[in-house]
Amino acid sequence: MEKVLLKNLGKPDSHRIENYIANGGYRALEAALKLKPDNIVQMVKDSGLRGRGGAGFSTGLKWSFIPKDPTIPKYLCCNADEGEPGTFKDRGIIDNDPHLLVEGMAIASYAIGAANSYIYIRGEFAFGADRLEAAIKEATEKGYLGNNIQGSGFSHNMYVHKGFGAYICGEETALLESIEGYRGQPRKKPPFPALSGLYAKPTVINNVETLACIPAIIEKGPKWFSSMGPEKSPGPKIYCVSGHVKKPGLYELPMGTTVRDLIFNHCGGMLKNRELKAVIPGGVSAPMLTTRDLDTPLDFDSLAAKGSMLGSGAVIVMDESTCMVKMALIINRFFSHESCGKCTPCRDGTPWLTNILKRIEGGQGRQGDVELLESLCTNIFGRTFCPLGDGAVMALRGALKNFRDEFQYHIDHKKCMAS
Amino acid sequence: MHGVIIMATVKINGKEITVQDNTLILDAARDAGFEIPTFCYQADLMGIGSCRMCLVEIEGQKKLQPSCITPVLHGMSINTETPTVISARASMLEFLLANHALDCPVCDKGGECELQDMVYKYGPHKGRHAEKKFKFQEKDYALSPVIIKNSNRCVQCQKCVRVCAEVVGANVLGALGRGDHQEETSFFRHFLDCDQDGNCIEVCPVGCFMRLPYRYRTRPWDLKGADTVCPYCGTGCRMVIEHRDGVLIRSKAQLGVGLNSETLCARGRFGCDFASSTERLKTPLIRRGGSLEPASWEEALGYIKEHIPVNIGNKMGGIASPRLTNEELYLFQKLLRDIFGSPNLDSTARWEPEATEGFIKATGMDEGGVSVFDCMESDSVLVIGSHLSDENPVTDYIVRRIKNTRRMSLIIASPREMKLDSSATIKLRHSPGREAAVLDAIALAVNAGKPSPAEGAALKDAKIEDLIASAGVTKGAVEQIAQRLLAANSIAIIAGMEFLRHPEGIPELGLLKEALKSSGKKVLVMPALDRANQRGAWEMGVHPAFGPGYGPVKDKGLGCAGMLEAANRGDLDMMYIAGADVAAMHPDEEFTRKALLKLKLLVVQDIFLSETAKLAHVVLPGSSFAEKEGTFTNQEGRAQIIRKLLPPPGKAKRDLDVIRAVGEVYDPSFGPKMPVLVLDEIRNAAGMYAHVSLAFNNKRNTENKLDNRHALVQGSATSALSVTRFSAATTEPEGRFHLTTGNHLFHSGRFSRRSGTLLGLLSAAVVEISEKDAASLNLKSGDKVKVKGRHYEAILSLKTKKGSKEGVAFIAENYDDVPVNRFFKKGEPAPRVDITKVTY
Amino acid sequence: MLSERAKKEIEAALRKYPNRKSAVMDALRAAQKDKGHIAKDDMDEIASILEMRSVEVNAAAAFYTMYNVDRPVGKYHIQVCRNISCSLLGAEHLIKHMERALSIKTGETTPDKRFTLSTVECLGSCGTAPMMQINDDYHENLTEAKIDELLKKLE
Ligand SMILES: Cc1cc2nc3c(=O)[nH]c(=O)nc-3n(C[C@H](O)[C@H](O)[C@H](O)COP(=O)(O)O)c2cc1C
Ligand code: SF4
Ligand code: FES
Repeated sequence: MEKVLLKNLGKPDSHRIENYIANGGYRALEAALKLKPDNIVQMVKDSGLRGRGGAGFSTGLKWSFIPKDPTIPKYLCCNADEGEPGTFKDRGIIDNDPHLLVEGMAIASYAIGAANSYIYIRGEFAFGADRLEAAIKEATEKGYLGNNIQGSGFSHNMYVHKGFGAYICGEETALLESIEGYRGQPRKKPPFPALSGLYAKPTVINNVETLACIPAIIEKGPKWFSSMGPEKSPGPKIYCVSGHVKKPGLYELPMGTTVRDLIFNHCGGMLKNRELKAVIPGGVSAPMLTTRDLDTPLDFDSLAAKGSMLGSGAVIVMDESTCMVKMALIINRFFSHESCGKCTPCRDGTPWLTNILKRIEGGQGRQGDVELLESLCTNIFGRTFCPLGDGAVMALRGALKNFRDEFQYHIDHKKCMAS
Repeated sequence: MHGVIIMATVKINGKEITVQDNTLILDAARDAGFEIPTFCYQADLMGIGSCRMCLVEIEGQKKLQPSCITPVLHGMSINTETPTVISARASMLEFLLANHALDCPVCDKGGECELQDMVYKYGPHKGRHAEKKFKFQEKDYALSPVIIKNSNRCVQCQKCVRVCAEVVGANVLGALGRGDHQEETSFFRHFLDCDQDGNCIEVCPVGCFMRLPYRYRTRPWDLKGADTVCPYCGTGCRMVIEHRDGVLIRSKAQLGVGLNSETLCARGRFGCDFASSTERLKTPLIRRGGSLEPASWEEALGYIKEHIPVNIGNKMGGIASPRLTNEELYLFQKLLRDIFGSPNLDSTARWEPEATEGFIKATGMDEGGVSVFDCMESDSVLVIGSHLSDENPVTDYIVRRIKNTRRMSLIIASPREMKLDSSATIKLRHSPGREAAVLDAIALAVNAGKPSPAEGAALKDAKIEDLIASAGVTKGAVEQIAQRLLAANSIAIIAGMEFLRHPEGIPELGLLKEALKSSGKKVLVMPALDRANQRGAWEMGVHPAFGPGYGPVKDKGLGCAGMLEAANRGDLDMMYIAGADVAAMHPDEEFTRKALLKLKLLVVQDIFLSETAKLAHVVLPGSSFAEKEGTFTNQEGRAQIIRKLLPPPGKAKRDLDVIRAVGEVYDPSFGPKMPVLVLDEIRNAAGMYAHVSLAFNNKRNTENKLDNRHALVQGSATSALSVTRFSAATTEPEGRFHLTTGNHLFHSGRFSRRSGTLLGLLSAAVVEISEKDAASLNLKSGDKVKVKGRHYEAILSLKTKKGSKEGVAFIAENYDDVPVNRFFKKGEPAPRVDITKVTY
Repeated sequence: MLSERAKKEIEAALRKYPNRKSAVMDALRAAQKDKGHIAKDDMDEIASILEMRSVEVNAAAAFYTMYNVDRPVGKYHIQVCRNISCSLLGAEHLIKHMERALSIKTGETTPDKRFTLSTVECLGSCGTAPMMQINDDYHENLTEAKIDELLKKLE
């Protein structure tokens, strides 16, 4: 497959604007500026592009919710918080091909009429943030950002906002709070950001990978895009593979590649040729799959049908030696560490789960702990303010469902079955 | 969209109800009679939907929804009592208890703790949490002289932080950390530099924020309470006061009751202990051989009868405090006018009667009550002549809170920086006492430089440039204000006590109002008053120029200043002063004392031995607000009931009984005995009160929420007020700072000093100047400075304010050791002072 | 006291946003660059520059784990990822190894104030796990030998 999102990765100085332009960069922006904003929104709708940040919402539809009134200021925010464990795709684009994102954002901003945009990048990506700031500067000097872009009359300024260690800021309303200088706790919805977002103005929030798809859609057309992968979730997709495989890394493949194809063909198979035990298909919030599910296509709907989700496309592979109690603990510890503190069930429920898991893993499990975990999951799930708490439960439920006896073994024998 | 109300019909637990579209499910359900528990919800705060106690089931939706932030949609079917909902409630409580301290036996909140109540009602009855609890701290820690905190009991509803930011505007509490380590506290748990109003305590559902003065003193079930009104400023907050064994222990506000709902300021919440002060007067006193000696009531009344002949007329004068009830004030003026035949009556030692009369007229008090909520419904609100944040703290809260939720402009004109500035759309820093020039400049700018017909003659020759220069403001700012006013369809003006200090502004206030009205705007004016019943005092006719209901009087008499001058000349022999500390509050202390000492008879009725009482021949011990019934009329013209909690101490009597006893000395049929009967007489005498309803008191008035319009007084049919023009005041030529005075946030007049708790918050007066002035004098906050005027100098500590006007110094008038009235001199221009650093 | 450099950075940050408060994260970051952590008076100073209350600055700072609020760290702040992908490839071993090499426990600073060792949640570098961050720089595909070499270079 011809690469679209990762095409410049590995090329020398791929982050410099000269090289980006030499490779055909910014032609899509130039073309877009000659179109009516509405047409662009329509093209994105037609392409079938669904958000790559996790929820898989139609990008064109999201843009179309923005009010048309030109007197109201509007914002675009790029979600480069990339916090879901297992995920490193946005960083790949930012570090190596920042202009692809800048171009995508410029087009999106033109389409929704945003005069200003922010890239919310997680604090640890200091290198990437520098790259983005340099790219914005280059693009401004070349007239792809700033006043009257390419003589079109459209003006746009782009800024980088650096997070500083809070997974919850990937949640779009927490992200907005964070830009406004508050603690990153999610806001109630409605009002939805499309009507009242950043500084209470209409705002679109899109993931890096989502925005990186835009130039290609403009250049090659929505048909080209929608013809790739499954009809309902088309396009190229970056899979982030980590864990027990021979060749972990980023793989740009058509949406709907199967787990088996990804692990055994593209990634060279299992590390040390051990047996596969479990796969998390979409970041730690996604319930794990087992060997039974290897032929599931990695796309939004197929994974949902299996009770899991595509999420951020982070595929974490675990072999037979892996202790599932420990994995559950690590994942749950992460969620309780990242719980923002706003709502009761997540704030007080996830640390409780972690404490129980810690005990079980450390050989201090008690009879009834598994049932207690399950009951607490019921009490948290669907009752939290934002999906973070749900994510914690989904992950734990996935582990309990597939590996319940391993938990019980830990409790009964005070040690691990796998080791 | 004003006027258009869209309704929605929904089913709640099968019951069909129709409510306004956008009503929260919670409110709709509660209105329909269903209970839904909540922690984080509070009607006056922005919803955050975080505690998840209020989850309900909506048919067709997979997840339970928080009813406190979810509005109804037409056709919705909502269930609040399904097994899932019930189990969700229990599970939330289980989560909250997981990390809760569970030390109820030693918790001050025990017995009135929302968590306790809710667990009892909805909670899990078995604990499953067997893990180690996270502890925020080992020991409770104080956050101020009045606030103590135990974070281990927190339920994270964040109401404390929200009330502090959204309502009080102090913003000194924050949620620090995250997840289960999140703690609502101050910057590094330092002592709070804030309003000390304890609203964080009041909104806290559990024993996390607690009042320090109340600590370990009682259990709530040992307290007896009375619903009443705060005795301090003119805002008129409703509160409950409680005693144990005859000692007033606390006052608190109630959710949804009164215009203040759950809020109070420091004075109201912590200052009511004055009522149980050991310094209270408990027996009548008579001057015998130079000193005041205890006496019986018979002796005291006999002494009065002996010295004051009935119908003494002009030789007599009376001053009654605006902290007395309407009933007492009404009887007082009846005593003076009908028994003694004296027209000399006043309710204040601070202002000229012509000024108060003009102010009443210009603010339209005789036209009936104006609700602060109506004011805040306006497109544009102008606050002028009031340091609202300190003088009327809860009015400031209401303004801030509503401003946050509506598109409107708030314009603040004041020389001194105030907390409300941060909510202002435009703030204007003008020179002190220049309200007149400010208003004229605005009026001209509104009419593009030409006076409107309403202003006609008054502004014919005025030039905007001159006005701007005199006000010390910029033309740009004035024009901006004019633009906002022009763009508004409705305008409210909140006008404060500065107009009384500098009465030149009064006619201009009336002019601007007329000018705006004539250009088709709806204009409301609300006075901001610093004494609980100042408006009532005027409406009862305690004034030399008008009678009850602002009606005409046969003869106009003298006001306080006039009486003192007459006394000084030997033209006035006797005075009856009820509750007013004339010696401390009247400008020019030396002269005032001299005049009072010349009286043949000075009768003082008070609850403390005030500066004035010390000079009296007879002292009659009266009662505090906690010891009597009656009504107060707040600044809006809202009449509200106060109720008795305790008997007056010792031989002290209710003020109504004291005044009536004095009257009965001369006429046994004087005055009805019961406050309600006096009120009936008032309804007759002052038509403004004819239809006032007191029925709402202390019930949550759901119909129109906090705003009970039935309690507002009507317009007066007999009003006979006129506006006097004062010539512009001059100031002394020398001295860098223009001296201004007023109430400190923690104090009100002189009697708040009798509150040990308030004194603990700030025990000595400070002088406040702008940060810029301080910098240029090489001074900083906390420095000891000498404030030197022509007639007086004082050593004070300095406080700087960032945005205040340069060249203005402010000293609160509440402290005995700094009698600010000594800076003033009768017949002389307003004082200027110099400030220098004191080095030891 | 904030350094001149930090103040300049704050000035620059203010230009990015329509309100002052938004610059608080950049301001805190700038303050931390000065000495590796953020002290109480830095927050007071930031509050006055941004026209906020100190507690609001503190609330922002204490929410984000990368700010070392009132918690000095060594010259080199080593943060090892212990989340899932790194853990699968032996992060715990490496942490133990480093504790031994530096003679401190996780969360501590060496007596000479050169190294602070912390564990962190996922740093977005899972494809090159195990990994860690030393100050701003990522170090990936770690092994014990690689770590020894790195530590030596920093000494
Ligand atoms: C707890 C949580 C964390 C999230 N983290 C991220 C993230 O790191 N990056 C991201 O792009 N989206 C993240 N999201 C999803 C965003 O809220 C949002 O859906 C997305 O940025 C929208 O962009 P898209 O439509 O382009 O996918 C997160 C959501 C939740 C609930
Ligand atoms: S589920 Fe609740 S506590 Fe958890 S991150 Fe979301 S809002 Fe915060
Ligand atoms: S009351 Fe609704 S979530 Fe707290």
